[in-house]
Amino acid sequence: MRILPRTAESGSYAALAGLAPKRRPSLTPYYFILPYLVFFVLFRLGPSLAGLGIAFTNWQAVGTPRFVGFANFEAMARDPRLGDAFQNTVFFALLTVPTLIVLSLALALFLNQPRRGRAVGRVVVFMPYVIMSTVVGVLWTWILDKDFGLLNVYLNFFGIANVPWLVSESTAMYGIILTTVWWTVGYNMVLFLAGLQDIPHELYEAARIDGARAWGVFRFVTLPLLAPTTFLVLMLTIINSFQVFDQVYVMTSGGPGTATLTLVQYIYTTSFQFQKFGYGSAVALILFGILVIVAFFQIRGYRRGLKGVE
Amino acid sequence: MSRTISRAAWYVLLVVVVALVLAPALWMLSTSIKPEREIITTQIRWIPQNFTVEHFQAIVQNYPMMQWLFNSLFTATAATLLVLVLDSMAGYAFARMEFRGRGLLFMIVLSMLFVPIQITVVPLFILFSRLGLTDTYWALILPVGANVTGVFLMRQFFLSIPGELEEAARVDGASAFRVFWSVVLPLARPALTAVAIITFLSTWNSFFWPLIVTRSDSVRTLPVGIAQFLSLRAGMVQGQMSIGQSMAGAVFAALPPIVIFVILQRYFIEGISRTGIKG
Repeated sequence: MRILPRTAESGSYAALAGLAPKRRPSLTPYYFILPYLVFFVLFRLGPSLAGLGIAFTNWQAVGTPRFVGFANFEAMARDPRLGDAFQNTVFFALLTVPTLIVLSLALALFLNQPRRGRAVGRVVVFMPYVIMSTVVGVLWTWILDKDFGLLNVYLNFFGIANVPWLVSESTAMYGIILTTVWWTVGYNMVLFLAGLQDIPHELYEAARIDGARAWGVFRFVTLPLLAPTTFLVLMLTIINSFQVFDQVYVMTSGGPGTATLTLVQYIYTTSFQFQKFGYGSAVALILFGILVIVAFFQIRGYRRGLKGVE
Repeated sequence: MSRTISRAAWYVLLVVVVALVLAPALWMLSTSIKPEREIITTQIRWIPQNFTVEHFQAIVQNYPMMQWLFNSLFTATAATLLVLVLDSMAGYAFARMEFRGRGLLFMIVLSMLFVPIQITVVPLFILFSRLGLTDTYWALILPVGANVTGVFLMRQFFLSIPGELEEAARVDGASAFRVFWSVVLPLARPALTAVAIITFLSTWNSFFWPLIVTRSDSVRTLPVGIAQFLSLRAGMVQGQMSIGQSMAGAVFAALPPIVIFVILQRYFIEGISRTGIKG
């Protein structure tokens, strides 16, 4: 895995080909890059910087925005709904991320065996991911229905009384988590499968000749060599978990009460239903801060993990 | 002997996994073709006693399903084409050409991967309202052109292919654009396919921005339409939604991508693996 850019070794070639003559700088590279840069600056870099600025204003859609320093951030400390949103999001991530990693790794190992039917298995497990998130939300609202939902009817079969799922504060988040796992487990499995394919076959054979059993092979060959993939999946699932929105919007809109209110759901209602642009952007900035911290630890952990392997 | 047991175990496990994943989707299909009185029951019947297409007729009559579908298909296709043009050129320049500020520029582009779009939506919304372009196709298509992943994937791909062919073409006197168009791009088919699939899938599925920027049915995309009008929650608020119609809407929206996926599954899975690992 190469997340960080590799230094380009193509310089000498480009110079040879005359794309970048040493004496007179050519404009050609700029013709290639400019179209993208226009879009990038207008729709990504510019808005990001502007969002950063808006977070320090009291802008409310009408009226002129005024710079208010850290007032928005001070107000956040006293905002109980934001506190709930933060807690719920962390809770969601804490449960979803490990579940997804263990389950998708297990499925990848299972469907990596050279046996008949594995292709069908892979296609089926990946299939939910191509369905739109909102459709997945609609479908699972029905599956999780308290009285007539498929899940409860089957749970009754095993002697478990009706779980209120989305209509109770204590269970609603579990419903969202279940939905998310079903929707994305196949995507993560495919990432793990690709990682498994990169492990040289000889290593397995060597381990087996040394007398390693299945568990030993997994523990001392597969798992360490899969570390870069695992870190990637970990990073992607954490980032996505902190941004969970679509399913929540469709299935509960943050309710009952604030039981499933997440950070992004809160940003959405603050900015676009109550038109508090300044405050909404400040909350978005907190989300950005969380993601930066996650990325920092990931990169550090990734480096350390690599050292451990070598 | 132990071989047959493990083979039996393999098939049993495989069937269990496949059944667990498929069950919710099949239940959606089953519900969508049942009359309402067969839906509201605790008796599980996978095959309906009486088939009906009334829910599908109802949703197509009551909601502009076809218009939403067209909006989604059109904007996702246009955005994908835009991304292919922009990102292949930019990725090529980042990988193969030398120019002042290349390293810094690439770092800036890459750093945007960590900036959640929730920070950009307010300024983006204001930008599009100043331009008078909210609630238009433009608002749905143009921002996709700023995506980072595609540029990154194209650059990684161009770094990995040898440069001799381009060199030969240049020696023959071909211009940089000519080399790019007739030598480089044909070689880049796998990377272009991956970028196309990823972009199409993410635009097709995109919800947060379209929810904010669309208001009328002539622009509204399928995920937004479904969420606002056909979810059971929306139905509770309006007090009229039937579960059958809700599921019919879900089937209507889920079927096209599933069919496309089953046909092109190899490319999907290759494309996804590329983002993760080779990227």
